[in-house]
Amino acid sequence: MLRRIVDWIDERTHARDLYREQMIDYKVPKNLTFPYVFGVLALITLVIQIVSGIILIMYYKPVMAHAFDSVNYTIMKEISFGWLFRHIHAAGANFFLAIVYLHMFTGIYYNAYKKPRELVWIVGWVIYFILLTTALTGYLLPWGQLSYWGTVVTTEIPASLADAPILKSIFAAIGETISIWMKGGYKLEDLALGRFFGLHVLLLPLVLLALVSIHLFLVRAAGISNPEGYEIDKKNEPEKLAPFHPYVTLKEGAVAMGYLALFFFFVFFNMSHFLPADNFEPADPLKTPPHIAPEWYLLGFYEVFRSIPSKFWGFVAFNLILILLLLLPFLDFSPFRSARRRPLFFIMFLVFLFSSMILTILGTMAPTPTNAQLGMFFTFLVFLFFLSLPVISFLEWGWYKARGGRS
Amino acid sequence: MNVWSAVKTVMFTGSTLLFFFVIWIYNPFSPHEEYELPEEAEQIINDPKFAAEGRELFKQTCASCHSLRYDGIYLASVAAKPEWSKVEKTQGKPILEEKDGKLVVRGYFVPRDVYEAVAVQDLESLKATFGKVPPDLSTYYLARGPGYLYQFTLDPNKVIPGTSMPRLFMPEYDKEATQKVAKIVAYMRSVSEPPPGEKAKRTLMGMVTIGYFLVMGVLIWIYRKRLLSKMGY
Repeated sequence: MLRRIVDWIDERTHARDLYREQMIDYKVPKNLTFPYVFGVLALITLVIQIVSGIILIMYYKPVMAHAFDSVNYTIMKEISFGWLFRHIHAAGANFFLAIVYLHMFTGIYYNAYKKPRELVWIVGWVIYFILLTTALTGYLLPWGQLSYWGTVVTTEIPASLADAPILKSIFAAIGETISIWMKGGYKLEDLALGRFFGLHVLLLPLVLLALVSIHLFLVRAAGISNPEGYEIDKKNEPEKLAPFHPYVTLKEGAVAMGYLALFFFFVFFNMSHFLPADNFEPADPLKTPPHIAPEWYLLGFYEVFRSIPSKFWGFVAFNLILILLLLLPFLDFSPFRSARRRPLFFIMFLVFLFSSMILTILGTMAPTPTNAQLGMFFTFLVFLFFLSLPVISFLEWGWYKARGGRS
Repeated sequence: MNVWSAVKTVMFTGSTLLFFFVIWIYNPFSPHEEYELPEEAEQIINDPKFAAEGRELFKQTCASCHSLRYDGIYLASVAAKPEWSKVEKTQGKPILEEKDGKLVVRGYFVPRDVYEAVAVQDLESLKATFGKVPPDLSTYYLARGPGYLYQFTLDPNKVIPGTSMPRLFMPEYDKEATQKVAKIVAYMRSVSEPPPGEKAKRTLMGMVTIGYFLVMGVLIWIYRKRLLSKMGY
């Protein structure tokens, strides 16, 4: 009976053909390494966030008088398993960003942004940017002290750029206008909370879903990159390829199970970082918390911003890092791909990776003069990575030509 | 895997794990305050049986300035208003607890705006006296932790010099003062944390969930190996 129903559906949808074409006839390189799994893990985390988010929306109230209580009383104490979904959503946000960072570093290491995958990288960058915005808007919703003051600091960045060296007065005027516009007034109140809620639960997830679909389509269109840095010839090297299912699906499925085990370890037993203590105090516009810093996924940018003495140049520097990341496919025009075959790139990748990690950890520390000096030094190293790419590419073009055009 | 690949794998895996350990589990570099908690106080705070006594102490000594709305405790002056019990029943939600196998109403959770509207005069008088409205303490155990609450309640000025919170417990005159403070903190803990039975259920649930995913991961891996060898990969 069931088979007849499936046949009936298949006759009308050709779902079996689609499945065969997309899952079995679709071949991928056999030598894909472990970090290639981060893409699927990011997708799983997106689903986790959407499902847990939908459940939380049912009980959350985006009004100043009720937001804090709806999270900490209704969801945490009143609703069956409300605590579990809040834990999943809070841990999921952190895991999502962590996996996206790992996915991005993997892409950089294997040069997965190079032709014909430039658009994959660019759309991925937009996903990352939207994800940061989603995290930022979601951070305000619990209406705790950190939520409130974190958003105040972020929305007041434009107003703090009055030390701009040129067009000072215009910057001062525009900055304040943008800041007021972001906050919905001089104070963060119901207007801002409602707007952030609308963006967080509706607009941004829809944009994310659309972008992720485009990202996946582009990955399929250009094919998965290869850790060895060359495109496998499907006709002449079929032994190097394997069907997507079951070769990759089961491998990634097994890793995904391990990932979920780790994820649920945090959900059940270690939430102290994902639900910080200061945020269990309701938002108080008259009391600034002693230690105020953004979440870990923004700390690298925050350290760049605060270690540069001028706020304007700090702002320019961290935005420039974001823009340089976007422009990566064009900064690195070398004919060689993958850090495995590019020793100079490998060294600069290590500089970039460890500088990013150190900047993030420096961001957790108290702002001392030594901290600022270290921050500036590692900011310089991050820029050095981006600036070295055209030089390395230029040198590698020379080697490429010397080898007679063989990569 | 050759030696160079192994070195790279160890370096990247190790640095990633170390980074996330510092960021997510234990960060020795970030500034944090620690408050001493004597062993006797710690034992009382961790023992749920002192929560009931702590609740009574809270009502007697703290509720003249602080509410604890998540457990149905409001300013004493508000709770004494003739209309308050009507407000609780019409605007609030009952907080239930199990007693002798039956569910009984422990108090009412009244929404913040309704409470503040009824208590506006009382809150303003407190603000005039202390310079600020003393906060509702429903989530303060989670926000400040047991060490801070114990030390601050025992001697507020020692923890925050110049605070308007008065010193209410004096060990030099009352031998049980430290125990009373610990019992109040034990009560605040009981409001913030799930009861022991529920905690045990959550631990079991966590272990089963994690175990399920680990077993499934291993099974999928074994199935894949067998399937691929059959397919000749």
